[in-house]
Amino acid sequence: MLPFNNGFASPLWHNGPIPGGLYNFPGHNGPASQPKKDYGVQRASQPITTGTSVVGLKFDGGVVIAADNLVSYGSMARFQDVQRVFNINNKTVVGAGGDFADFQCIKRYIDQKIIDDMCYADEYEMKPKSLYNWLTRILYTKRSKFEPLWVDIVVGGVEDGVPFLGHVDLRGRSYQDDVIATGFGKHLALPLLRERTETGKPIGRDEAIALVKKCMEVLFYRDCRASPNFTISVCTKEKAEILGPFKVSQNWELAKSVEGY
Amino acid sequence: MALAEICGLSDAPFMKANSFSTDDAGIELFKLSGNMEDPFSLAVPPFANPCEHLAELQATGENSGIKMNFDHGTTTLGFKFKGGVILAVDSRATGGQFIGSQTMKKIVEINQYMLGTLAGGAADCVYWDRVLSKECRLHELRNKERISVAAASKIMANIAHEYKGMGLSMGMMLAGYDKRGPALYYVDSEGTRTPGNVFSVGSGSIFAFGVLDSGYKWDLSDEEAQELGRRAIYHATFRDAFSGGIVRVYHITPQGWVNISNQDCVDLHYKYQAQKEAAKH
Amino acid sequence: MISAENFPEYNVPGVVKHDFHPYESNGGSVVAIAGDDYAVIAADTRLSSGYSIHTRKQNKLFKLSGTTVLGSTGCWCDTLALTSLISARMKMYHYLHQKVMPTNAISQMLSIIMYHKRFFPYYVSNILAGLDADGKGVVYSYDPIGHCELASYRAGGSAGALLQPVLDNQIGLKNQENVAKDPIPKEKAISVIVDTFISAAERDIYTGDGVIINVITKDGIETRNVSLRKD
Repeated sequence: MLPFNNGFASPLWHNGPIPGGLYNFPGHNGPASQPKKDYGVQRASQPITTGTSVVGLKFDGGVVIAADNLVSYGSMARFQDVQRVFNINNKTVVGAGGDFADFQCIKRYIDQKIIDDMCYADEYEMKPKSLYNWLTRILYTKRSKFEPLWVDIVVGGVEDGVPFLGHVDLRGRSYQDDVIATGFGKHLALPLLRERTETGKPIGRDEAIALVKKCMEVLFYRDCRASPNFTISVCTKEKAEILGPFKVSQNWELAKSVEGY
Repeated sequence: MALAEICGLSDAPFMKANSFSTDDAGIELFKLSGNMEDPFSLAVPPFANPCEHLAELQATGENSGIKMNFDHGTTTLGFKFKGGVILAVDSRATGGQFIGSQTMKKIVEINQYMLGTLAGGAADCVYWDRVLSKECRLHELRNKERISVAAASKIMANIAHEYKGMGLSMGMMLAGYDKRGPALYYVDSEGTRTPGNVFSVGSGSIFAFGVLDSGYKWDLSDEEAQELGRRAIYHATFRDAFSGGIVRVYHITPQGWVNISNQDCVDLHYKYQAQKEAAKH
Repeated sequence: MISAENFPEYNVPGVVKHDFHPYESNGGSVVAIAGDDYAVIAADTRLSSGYSIHTRKQNKLFKLSGTTVLGSTGCWCDTLALTSLISARMKMYHYLHQKVMPTNAISQMLSIIMYHKRFFPYYVSNILAGLDADGKGVVYSYDPIGHCELASYRAGGSAGALLQPVLDNQIGLKNQENVAKDPIPKEKAISVIVDTFISAAERDIYTGDGVIINVITKDGIETRNVSLRKD
């Protein structure tokens, strides 16, 4: 059965045959049923078109999330102008890494939720924590069915005036922190961000943006799945905005001095 | 939000719940903890053949630092004699090579007249003994008499058979006193159920059998029988690495079960050592 | 079933092939000690997998009621799922019975809920600490499929095997002759716990950064924080 195909019609004959599928009587599990692979039915459990790192940082009064604009297909830089940070509403932003198709699938449901909120017209908007929790449950449920959605999502926003930053991965493992980086950024960007936050001094909006830009530069130089174009999403109490696309101002002078390989 | 529910707006096709959301939180909760209402409703794993695949998951996990060890044990023994039934057990629970507990209770008190011993997966045994205990009480309420040990062991065997091949690990003895006199049954996770006079189950059972068989006869006095059980378990703890801790002895008489002793096997060791020395002189 | 491996010609060169493994070890240790009129439970605050530390300030203690705290480590996503299920069930109990679930009832429920996933277990190491009906401290420890045991002190999680012997010596006074087995005062229990965590941070890469200690007494739950090595 195709997942997510119950958009409009409710099932009439609950245990009936699926169009185009073999029919088994309920409870039947004989040889006519689908041949089972290891662990039963399994979806394509590997990422195909992928986005690399997402970097997120809390500052005084808001959060900033950045990701480059590349979606790779294996080692090929396939889609070079795809924005990977999104404003969900005025208080919530997300950044996506991992399999981009899986994320788009989730994103459609998030968009529908936003439309639902608007239709209700009750002046309620989804807050970052509820989106974060919802994502955690969705991803955990999928991993528990052995059908993981291969994504790494960073959720940011401002909830009741307090900045929020959280990370959910493909298993539904989630945590909140002042600094978050996924993918390669976990190794390259995280130390840069932690170095600044662990001084304990408050970070302003402009400094946060500058810091994240620096991270994107470092990532571009060392992550071979990263591109120089990146987008930044900034969320404060007032609004969520997308900045960019920016381009890493490249300097390859250094390359001339690298010798001996 | 609430108004939309009342108006039925949320039932409109364009507001239809998507497959990521649940229609009914109650159903979802039941799916996640169904055995709170019905103990037999365990979660279906997302893969076929859980016995093999769970083992495989655990094995591949070893490489990534995941060590999922389930507590297990044991030496247990039980025998019938003229004065009733004796059960004796050790109290060590091991998870892999780590001794998870030295004070585990391996005799489960099902009711005042029936006891179960547990060997193998601790969680399996304790969970299903608890279910059995409930079934026995229900039998009592329905039929106005206590369930016989034969019937209780049959329930247990049926449960074991239901889950046969799924990877449960249980080797238990059910002992009690009913209107037919003292009763002792062995039930395991393969679905075996057999009555008998002398049983010993678990990793240390061979050592226990050695002592038990050499000293066992029907006409033992109560004290002799209790001491035989205790001594057999002590010798098993001495030779079997997976047994140890406290030696617990229970005696089932027509009046119900009595916990005779719970002794640390270190103390027993010195006691028996002293007896040996005394016998030499 | 349609999946990528049935179509070798569509294999993407250079793509990183991943085997999906549902479990992940996120580390962390929990230690609990029960006394005559208190229970202390503590967990470190490091959340990691492999060689990377995700966050240094993850609280792994879950306050279930005014007298019960659950410490849970292992696969963090399982911990999150399990603890939110427990709190939902506790709310149901509260509305049904008009009272807060007592510690012994929680301990049994936790065991049953964990056994529910017998064939695809929650990979968690749970320790439950609290006060029983008489106000006495109790500690329950669990294996991944819900075997529950009552104890008076217990260490679990990634450094569990490292810490339990320390507790056996310091709190249980195991195999020691001519020692008075007096009840352990609360402050002594707390200081032993802090010491065990300092030692664990020294030798276990998955334990460190900080400890959150919950002291449960009849007056409520007091939280203390202690920092640990961050390397």
